[in-house]
Amino acid sequence: MRVTDIGEMAIRNVKDLSEILKAAFPAAIKGTESPASNRLYVDVAAGAVKDVSLKLVSLGGRFQISVGYDDIGRRNALGYIQTFAFDGAGFIAALRTEVPVASPELDSVAADIPGADWPEREAADLLGLKFKGHPKPKRLVLADDWPEGIHPLRKDVPYNLIPPAAEDVAYRLDEAPPGTTVVPVGPFHASLHEPEHFAVYVDGETIKGCDYRGFMVHRGIEKLCQTQVTYNEVPFIAERICGICGSVHAAAYAQAVEEAGGMTVSRRAAYIRTIMLEIERLHSHLLWIGLAGHMIGFDTVFMQAWRVRERIMWLSERITGNRKTYGMIIIGGVRRDITPEIGDEVLGVLSEVEAEVRILMKSVIGDTAVHRRTKGVGYLSKEDAVRWCLVGPTARARGIRMDVRKDHPYAAYGEMEFDVPVADSCDVWGTVVVRFLEIFESIRILRQALSKMPDDGPLQTAAGAPLAPLKHGLFCVEAPRGEVIHYVITGEENRPERWRVRAPTYPNLQAVPSMLMNNQFADFPIIVGSIDPCYSCTDRVAVIEIGAKNKYILDRNKLEEISRRRKT
Amino acid sequence: MRFLYSFLNWLIFLFCAPFFEGVMRRITARVQSRKGPPLLQPYYDILKLLGKESMNSTGHRIFNAAPMIAFASISAVAVLAPLGSRPGALASHADIITLIYLLTLGGVSVLLGALASRNTFAVIGASREMVTMIMVEPVLAMTLILGAVKAKSLMPVGAAFGAKTAGFGISSALMLVVYLLALQAFAGRQPFDIPEAEVELLEGPYIEYSGPGYALFRCYIMMKRMFYAGLFIAAFVPVIRGLPYVLGLMAHLAGILVVFVIISLVGATNPRLRIDQAVKYYAVLILAALCAVGLAAKGF
Repeated sequence: MRVTDIGEMAIRNVKDLSEILKAAFPAAIKGTESPASNRLYVDVAAGAVKDVSLKLVSLGGRFQISVGYDDIGRRNALGYIQTFAFDGAGFIAALRTEVPVASPELDSVAADIPGADWPEREAADLLGLKFKGHPKPKRLVLADDWPEGIHPLRKDVPYNLIPPAAEDVAYRLDEAPPGTTVVPVGPFHASLHEPEHFAVYVDGETIKGCDYRGFMVHRGIEKLCQTQVTYNEVPFIAERICGICGSVHAAAYAQAVEEAGGMTVSRRAAYIRTIMLEIERLHSHLLWIGLAGHMIGFDTVFMQAWRVRERIMWLSERITGNRKTYGMIIIGGVRRDITPEIGDEVLGVLSEVEAEVRILMKSVIGDTAVHRRTKGVGYLSKEDAVRWCLVGPTARARGIRMDVRKDHPYAAYGEMEFDVPVADSCDVWGTVVVRFLEIFESIRILRQALSKMPDDGPLQTAAGAPLAPLKHGLFCVEAPRGEVIHYVITGEENRPERWRVRAPTYPNLQAVPSMLMNNQFADFPIIVGSIDPCYSCTDRVAVIEIGAKNKYILDRNKLEEISRRRKT
Repeated sequence: MRFLYSFLNWLIFLFCAPFFEGVMRRITARVQSRKGPPLLQPYYDILKLLGKESMNSTGHRIFNAAPMIAFASISAVAVLAPLGSRPGALASHADIITLIYLLTLGGVSVLLGALASRNTFAVIGASREMVTMIMVEPVLAMTLILGAVKAKSLMPVGAAFGAKTAGFGISSALMLVVYLLALQAFAGRQPFDIPEAEVELLEGPYIEYSGPGYALFRCYIMMKRMFYAGLFIAAFVPVIRGLPYVLGLMAHLAGILVVFVIISLVGATNPRLRIDQAVKYYAVLILAALCAVGLAAKGF
């Protein structure tokens, strides 16, 4: 298909897309379902998944994530869903298919959609799906000594399974290009805040390639929430996916469940959600600007940005009782109100922060030494950024005007006026500029939300009836780092049958090796740092901690015992 | 008596260098809105390091010897260095070539130690250190040679003080600017702390060092910084020359303090450069330094 063709059949809404698909693949499309004007679920035959996926991408769909799930009990099959966002038209299409568990084979799309590489490997690891023609069929999520044939997300695998640890097993790095030496950045390294391993292949000081092995600290959150807790407890666990953008995960999960269950929350609750999300963005952006300064050896920026950020942390504590992990957003609304007095305090802090950030921005943006370290560094063209399905400031720094708050409005964002800053330098510099400008947009949103806050109803709305099982809900939220997606399939035991989380680092990190290519090793920290990686956000799937020698799982009693002993 | 003065020179370097380091940390902290460590913190650090175990992961002898060679070489430099109104008391036994040799020996021992540790980061750090040495040492050499040309002598005495004895011409002014621009590189501070680059190289050449070995390297670094700051005062601030010993010494140390304040402020307000960018910068400095020497030879 030629690029010009897309314009002729511009997709305006769900109906357009469903008609085009039905016309193009009359045999493969088994049915479509559109519970709302911004969602389209398409059931498609397994054999045609690749063709339909590529068609969706050629129509302007942005690959988001895939969701694999165990449907062996009901249909003796494994389900596989891929979601595509049509940002311009404001809807999301989910492509659902299933394969028999006896021969769980699908055609890989990773060669054509690079962003689908990890999701396919993840589904292969955790569910035992097989992808024909995958360019790099290596383990992604499971530990290297995890036995073959045990797929943790299958229902017959208990959540607390501990397979025996094996010695002498190690991840095999990609072949280093000839003439290069390997610099191991990780598993522990000063510029990574979490255990991850980048093997960087350098020729002198020039980076010629990079292999990545992550997922080292899996917490099994998805499995845990699918087997051990109930709907209402999940938001608090979801918040702990990320130490920085917790509210984002709670909001995405809560909204996905609300969508699956057809619930609506009061506008006041939606406003309070918006306020919490924007406060989180403010402190996250300031945190990143500080870290970026540190990574180019400019610690003064680091210290000053964090000093300003501290005001926001105090403010969060004032509103929620916590600096982080607020526990504010729950299914059906929020837990605490924002009173007019606190609202005034917020406004006061905002003007202080705004003035300070202006000074900070002036000194960073105007500093030619900063230009030297960031301009042209970590270059990735707009076309490549689209191919890799980048999200958030990393994508906006590459000229892609996308922002979930605008494209797929949620909470109270539909009622807010704000701009989406975009840079076209396609490098780290662009990210710096975009992040700075977004701080001012956040402040703008917060001021509007506080001045227009309606007083229309309860902070929490209870679900009218128990959630019907096997309903699909899907929600995106714009985290400070980019788009977060939560996909929920409702279950029978008052807990999700399947809950899939995709954090913004997941697509962005996949593109990092391309960004590193032919840069200097000295720029490694800032390039990796430019996506604001949150490894813990990606490390949430597999099941069990494997200690080398002594293996044990802390149950509730032991945990309480330890915490009590520590106190005294 | 001469030996006593030399010994005194060394003691002053050894005991004042950590204080200047403390000042630098404090000023950096203030620029960053922090309180900063106590001024004596670098002394505590050294004492603590001296009490710790020295780890040697490769078991290589050069790894153990390198910090000692570095410390010995910088000690020798301290003995020869001009301080206050007096030139190094042993100056008549050594010329500026010796001085340059000793300074380079210190750098080379850092390289050897780094290579002996066989750590990838240390090796990258060492290669950066090497490039820095090759590009920055000429500026130092030119400064000393400029003095030598003016004084028509290779003795450190003449070299360091030559710029003054022959008056403050265009060549001296040019060299002063070059020296100031090279100061951060001499001191190994931002934007030129490239070999140690904490975020990517984790202190580079020193990554494997601990305990007394690292303490010696710390002393080496601090004394080297003090030497470069002191040389600037000795070479370009003529006032202290005529003063009595104690007064001259005080004036010199005060001058060094001012230089350290400048180093700290520049360091705190600049990001680190990449080695390829730094090399271009150094190249310009070398060229300018050569011009200064050329001018001096022509009598300007």
